[in-house]
Amino acid sequence: MSILSVLSAKASSALLSLAGRGGSMPGSIALKLDPDSLKKLKFRGPVILVTGTNGKTSTANMISSLFEAAGKTVVTNRKGDNLKAGITSALLKAAKLNGTIDADAVVLEVDELNIRHVLPVLPVSALVVTNFFRDQLDRAREMEQLIESIEGVLPPFEGTLILNGNDPNTLRLQLKAPKSPTVSFGLEENRYSSKDTTEASEGKFCPVCAHRLEYDYYQYSHIGKFHCPNCGFQTPELDVSLEDIDLDHQTFKYDGVRYKGPYEGMYSMYNYAAVLAVAKKFGLPAEAFRKMLANAPHPAGRNEKFRQGEREVILNLIKNPTGANEVMKVIEKDPRRKAVVIVLNDREQDGTDVSWIYDTRFEKFMNKQTQCVICSGLRYGDMALRMDYGGYTGELLMEPSVESAVAQALEKADTVYVAATYTALLPSRAAIEKEIAK
Amino acid sequence: MMPETVRCAWMYHDIMDLYGDKGNIMTLTARAERRGITFEAVPVGIGQEADLSEFDMVFMGGGADKEQMALIPDLLSRKKNIKKALDEHTFFLLICGGYQLFGQYYETADHNKIEGLGLLDFYTETGKGKTRCIGNIVIDADLDGKTLRLIGFENHGGQTLNVSSPLGKVVKGSGNAFDAGFEGYYDGRILGTYLHGPLLPKNGELADFVLSKAIAKRNPGFKLEDLAPLNNPYEKEARKALLDRFSLSELQ
Repeated sequence: MSILSVLSAKASSALLSLAGRGGSMPGSIALKLDPDSLKKLKFRGPVILVTGTNGKTSTANMISSLFEAAGKTVVTNRKGDNLKAGITSALLKAAKLNGTIDADAVVLEVDELNIRHVLPVLPVSALVVTNFFRDQLDRAREMEQLIESIEGVLPPFEGTLILNGNDPNTLRLQLKAPKSPTVSFGLEENRYSSKDTTEASEGKFCPVCAHRLEYDYYQYSHIGKFHCPNCGFQTPELDVSLEDIDLDHQTFKYDGVRYKGPYEGMYSMYNYAAVLAVAKKFGLPAEAFRKMLANAPHPAGRNEKFRQGEREVILNLIKNPTGANEVMKVIEKDPRRKAVVIVLNDREQDGTDVSWIYDTRFEKFMNKQTQCVICSGLRYGDMALRMDYGGYTGELLMEPSVESAVAQALEKADTVYVAATYTALLPSRAAIEKEIAK
Repeated sequence: MMPETVRCAWMYHDIMDLYGDKGNIMTLTARAERRGITFEAVPVGIGQEADLSEFDMVFMGGGADKEQMALIPDLLSRKKNIKKALDEHTFFLLICGGYQLFGQYYETADHNKIEGLGLLDFYTETGKGKTRCIGNIVIDADLDGKTLRLIGFENHGGQTLNVSSPLGKVVKGSGNAFDAGFEGYYDGRILGTYLHGPLLPKNGELADFVLSKAIAKRNPGFKLEDLAPLNNPYEKEARKALLDRFSLSELQ
């Protein structure tokens, strides 16, 4: 390891922290000074990468907390800085001058398109993949090319693949990694499983032979127990499988023990399963898992609740059809009279193509409990048009200002759901906090 | 004179549904219903028997490269029937992949040359170094002498060349290929375009134009003007957001 690049990253990181910045800048500088910075680091514990379309931040954070709950020290890029420069920053900041990372474990959330850059230059013990869905296709190109970019670096990989066995797009990775053992995770059939799906889905064809896949049941979107009648590619006997899912109480059973998780929705159950698969692979005790769940902080913009007297506002991030559909189900499930605010931006981080709103089932909450829908954000007109053509006949308002939208919604109903795209999340929270004390 | 139904064959609806293309069917359905017309979208999948010439219109969207491959043999097997449908004035609305497949061939991102229906002269090559035309796009389309300003989002690696009769002139964006200047294809019977967004919600008048072409199959002489105007306040705002961004305005 060149001492110069470690030193410069540490120095620039310190300077930038003083200046109130940080993030990926020190890593960018280190990579310029020495493009092989990452290759030269030394580790004394496992290196775990977490990627996938949805749930990688929650899952990576839970894995870090799991190791900590087991009494280990962890280095991680918790701020969600998941591109190569951000990862380099996080690691170099934690490196001693001789290039050794002083931690029992390294847990890194990695953007899907950056796996091909990061996996080959680190001694990765395990690659955890949550799922692959359509996500901001204008940036990430079609999902197929994204998966191929990961498959391209798998042939020499000797670490463990920890894969969602209910997602054909994810499970297929093991076919390209002959030297790598797989630990699969998933969910048993439960009361929410269905025989068919109406949601935007990618898993229609077998990734091996292109024959149409058959499903015993779907859990959500294209996630479920599948098999290819032609070549036999299928959900394997799962190494980690959750049973007796109860979404109302957010509980599940694993290994005969019932757990209660902090996060809502079927997708969160898969994140728990991924974390348990990591616990199994690295021999971490069930007690650490329980402790981690009990102490998990509620992530921003994931069913974040703001209450004052009778009034309650619930804030959710929406960024692609699959994640957004889960949010729609949560809104549908709430029997209270409510108003819904949708804040649609189309900046780079949101995805500049807003067509995904037509793949999202906003129809879910078009019922008599929904008093009013207010569309806001840079593309408020597009959102209102989507509701109109989707057949919404209730009160439909357009309000470019997020602050006014939230204020108006609270005049319409005591319960307000706010669904906001990435760059609209902070302005939405600020608008809610102005109206309501947390 | 006003028809009771419009029947649409929705080709490969579960494969060719990238980028919210189903929004086009939602729009046609709603705009027809608001005139008291029932819009019937009949899914036609792989291996499913259907005489396309019995439909007033055919819609085909775009799909992901790999999934799209699965339907090509089926599509090619329908070539004679598609010709018959065109001869008998069934109107074809084609987006992205659907548009490309009506040409001579298209080249995938990994340089496989895929045979198209060959009904039209154009062909599609892949962008150099896997580059793609991506972004908001505005075009002025010429539809049987009427000019409409269309707004959409394009996202295609394919460079469609040799287009004898484009849909319109590019005002902002790429079009059929990088710096093509022109976008899509239109010849009175087939409208092909790269515009997603989806295409029709933000272009209500185009949706009506498509409806009028479909209605004309069983009601010869039926024109866009025969449909009662339909002002949608949401459409106006959605268009304004993008036109303002590019310092453009509506055509007068």
